[in-house]
Amino acid sequence: METPHYVAARVQRALAEDERTTELGIRVDVRGEEVYLRGQVSCDERRHQIENVAREAAPGLRVHNELTLVEVREPGEEEHL
Amino acid sequence: MRELRIAAVADIHLGEDLRGHYRKKIEGIERRADVLLVGGDLTRHGTIPEAQVVAEELSGLPIPVVAVLGNHDYHSDRNEEIIDLLRDAGITVLDDEGAVVPIDGVRLGVAGGKGFGGGFAGKCASEFGEPETKAFVRHTKEIAERWRRALKELDADHKIVLSHYSPVKDTLMGEPPEIYPFLGSYMLAEAADAEGADLFIHGHAHAGTEKGVTPGGIRVRNVALPVIKHAYTVYCLNGDHC
Ligand SMILES: [Fe+2]
Ligand SMILES: [Fe+2]
Repeated sequence: METPHYVAARVQRALAEDERTTELGIRVDVRGEEVYLRGQVSCDERRHQIENVAREAAPGLRVHNELTLVEVREPGEEEHL
Repeated sequence: MRELRIAAVADIHLGEDLRGHYRKKIEGIERRADVLLVGGDLTRHGTIPEAQVVAEELSGLPIPVVAVLGNHDYHSDRNEEIIDLLRDAGITVLDDEGAVVPIDGVRLGVAGGKGFGGGFAGKCASEFGEPETKAFVRHTKEIAERWRRALKELDADHKIVLSHYSPVKDTLMGEPPEIYPFLGSYMLAEAADAEGADLFIHGHAHAGTEKGVTPGGIRVRNVALPVIKHAYTVYCLNGDHC
């Protein structure tokens, strides 16, 4: 079995460099055969793309998509400086 | 002097899949703010079609919009064209320079640009060794020098630095410390502290925190969209009363 450390590095690089994702801020953790993706994305489509790219970069492993959607809310209270 | 209401956001990372979404969230911004500052990473890949979406979403607002690019906007080597395209759409784009935005007789000076990394005092890269390392550090150093000059030359009542990269560690809290050198540089803070400013706005650190302060006491705000979780945040710079 490949060292989880290098799998995580490869998945993270794929997410950053693949044109479908170009996401730099995704945490990738590999434990045995499980890959965990954590972070925030702005729409569902991007969440799925990240999962797809991660699967391709880690064939045979189980990918857990724990990414959350950032919901952009209306502006809140202002801060006085 | 009247107070200034500064709306700020960064890392909107627009693309064709998000066309129209952001615009909807900033409708009516003129009732809440006098100016909108956008701290880079306007796109995902830095392509022209993405930049066109950015221009559509940010142009034609009743208040002035000032923006800088981020590292994502450089990815396709079209950064110069993106700047031109946004400027044609009426957006003030700062590329290591300053601009004065008049707001009801108050002159708001904004200086900045993309910025760059290198790390923070005590744990930073230095201009030593391989040419690649030296080039990395020199890039930040040159940027900081241009910002210092731009700030000095600004003739304004209030001054704000607008950047993509962070000037301090405070607003990176939440990011893995191993990548701090890629998230910002103390040299950006040093430039601002040398000339003085009322506020330092940046983005880039999606997992960071909103509030910090430079060693010289300038308030720093990380307005990356995943951090502020709102379409923008409004900061009021004190007038006679607030
Ligand atoms: Fe970003
Ligand atoms: Fe960025």
